[in-house]
Amino acid sequence: MAAQIPIVAAPSTPAIARNSKKRPGSPSHNGNSSGSYTASKKKKVSGSSFAQCISMEAMSESKLVSSDFGTGPVEKAAKPLPFKDPNFVHSGHGGAVAGKKNRTWKNLKQILASERALPWQLNDPNYFSIDAPPSFKPAKKYSDVSGLLASYTDPQSKLRFSTIEEFSYIRRLPSDVITGYLALRKATSIVP
Amino acid sequence: MAAASAAGLAANVFPFRDARAAPDPVLEAGPVAHGPLPIPLVLDNGSFQARAGWACPGPDPGPEPRLQFRAVCARGRGGARGGAGPQVGNALGSLEPLRWMLRSPFDRNVPVNLELQELLLDYSFQHLGVSSQGCVDHPIVLTEAVCNPLYSRQMMSELLFECYGIPKVAYGIDSLFSFYHNKPKNLFSSGLVISSGYQCTHILPILEGRLDAKNCKRINLGGSQAAGYLQRLLQLKYPGHLAAITLSRMEEILHEHSYIAEDYIEELQKWRCPDYYETNVHKMQLPFSNKLLGSTLTSEEKQERRQQQLRRLQELNARRREEKMQLDQERLDRLLYVQIPDLEQLEPSLEEVESISDFEPLFSEETPEVEKPVATVQPVFNLAAYHQLFVGTERIRAPEIIFQPSLIGEEQAGISETLQYILDRYPKDVQERLVQNVFLTGGNMMYPGMKARIEKELLEMRPFQSSFQVQLASNPVLDAWYGARDWALDHLEDNEVWITRKDYEEKGGEYFKEHCASNIYVPIRLPKQASRASDAQTSGKGSGAGGGSAGEQV
Repeated sequence: MAAQIPIVAAPSTPAIARNSKKRPGSPSHNGNSSGSYTASKKKKVSGSSFAQCISMEAMSESKLVSSDFGTGPVEKAAKPLPFKDPNFVHSGHGGAVAGKKNRTWKNLKQILASERALPWQLNDPNYFSIDAPPSFKPAKKYSDVSGLLASYTDPQSKLRFSTIEEFSYIRRLPSDVITGYLALRKATSIVP
Repeated sequence: MAAASAAGLAANVFPFRDARAAPDPVLEAGPVAHGPLPIPLVLDNGSFQARAGWACPGPDPGPEPRLQFRAVCARGRGGARGGAGPQVGNALGSLEPLRWMLRSPFDRNVPVNLELQELLLDYSFQHLGVSSQGCVDHPIVLTEAVCNPLYSRQMMSELLFECYGIPKVAYGIDSLFSFYHNKPKNLFSSGLVISSGYQCTHILPILEGRLDAKNCKRINLGGSQAAGYLQRLLQLKYPGHLAAITLSRMEEILHEHSYIAEDYIEELQKWRCPDYYETNVHKMQLPFSNKLLGSTLTSEEKQERRQQQLRRLQELNARRREEKMQLDQERLDRLLYVQIPDLEQLEPSLEEVESISDFEPLFSEETPEVEKPVATVQPVFNLAAYHQLFVGTERIRAPEIIFQPSLIGEEQAGISETLQYILDRYPKDVQERLVQNVFLTGGNMMYPGMKARIEKELLEMRPFQSSFQVQLASNPVLDAWYGARDWALDHLEDNEVWITRKDYEEKGGEYFKEHCASNIYVPIRLPKQASRASDAQTSGKGSGAGGGSAGEQV
């Protein structure tokens, strides 16, 4: 009987692509709330939990036997944290709430894009309005190799250098290092 | 540069400390946390480090925050087996082996992944000894970004109120808390706060004790960009040591061996001179590794070599197969020829053949091994020099990016130009007042020479013979936490500044109340995200009630 549990566990876990976030309070979990809350967040596909399954019946705490994907917590973080609400689900995260489409958190760019659409007044401060303006002063040119002031640029590789020794060093560089130096300055433009 | 290894120059050689963080003990809350009123928890939520502790009233507020840990989490080694779940902060020990698995709730300086934020909060509460059942029964003071996006605050309030059930929360800006910690007397002062953290640098003008938010500016460069720049510089200079040049070691170099030049151009001229270079270069000693000897090849040459080796192996295998086939053929012939049932005679000969064929692979393998020791005996007189990173001008180049973002190709203006831009938006008398009180805070401000540099920049941009005053925070890293704690103790009874659960439910998660160290409140209402908790699963998939503004898709 215990052997069946990992087999049942395996097909259901791929259905939960990322951090399996089915909280114990979800309807698909057989109403066993306040089960090992932290354990339900872990990805569980291992045989190491197999041994746990056997001992699980004895443990009143981990009521995850009946759950499809609950396999035992293995270590000290098994106790549910007492100060949390175990039925809490983030509304921002997809996971169990928004179905299969929206599983990820928005990143900063997406958040800012949606913030721009809100009805801001002209003088209101918001995250994107306090971005520093671009520089108006011409940038000083520094050597890519040594950081000293560079008066010369190598026409072949477009690297800047300040002394003759640096020039010979640059001419002997392999191509990946050259591209690396240019990328550091964000000067890798394909357009000539 | 190579001449530096002459004659055992042992000066300026520094080892890497490669410090490991010790895991935090689970502290007992102790008697301080159980007063008549619930004690506030102060949490400085930073993208580099999170600092948490109690704000205890009483004669001695106590020392540093109880917990300081890196705001990262990662699953333990070995990936996502049934092993230990995500570990947070100091429980990870050294960060380097897990570098690619580290996840942080922050994107720049805004928390966007609230699951990971939840893990960090769990860790903080657990290790501070929060023992209340079913909810965290303490008011919380939390720091947030300047002009925090409403969505992020909404998510954070939801996490705090719904998941942890706290009674009330107050949001503030860390640099402003630090400012008020350092100037307690004049609560209604004006000044200019320059705060440089891990991900970005802010310049915040303060007028009459209140942040003038529409004139704030943020430069998206900080300690992490400096560490990344230094890492790539050293990796390009020492392509053989690619793996040993880790971000933790870069942070160590920045914290201990870098400084800000007061006049960058002049300092570079000094570095041109070889004697100055000799005395001031810092040679970072890497631990010994075998891989370096003979591996100074470019990637193209390495590919060539690999192809040659493959060809050689293929030839070798083909030859062996041929020989084996020959042997088998001979055996077959012999067996066919000797069709006499005299097995005792045959067996020794068969065994002989087998034992010879056993020896063959040994013979063929030994010869390459004999070649190897000869190749590696090279005249190495100072092996240590092969494993040293010479950090010369990089000491001033990496921290310089906040003054000259063009070093890494950023288009934004540096601190001095942005400072000038902000000052020009005010009338002259206000400029005077602001400049009398320039305050520097934040971990990225702790380079030696930073204060002198800011003073020089101000001297260049202010009118002739006008005065200004620059002050560095007493503890740029922890002052935000101390300031928040002082603020919490001062405003414990004040209901005008805390957001209670009732406020949250009536006015939504993005609501907050202004106070002396907070953002400016703009009354825009965000549509509520999809409904939560118990009825979520049934109705969530269809309704997706988030609807409202364009681009919101929940």
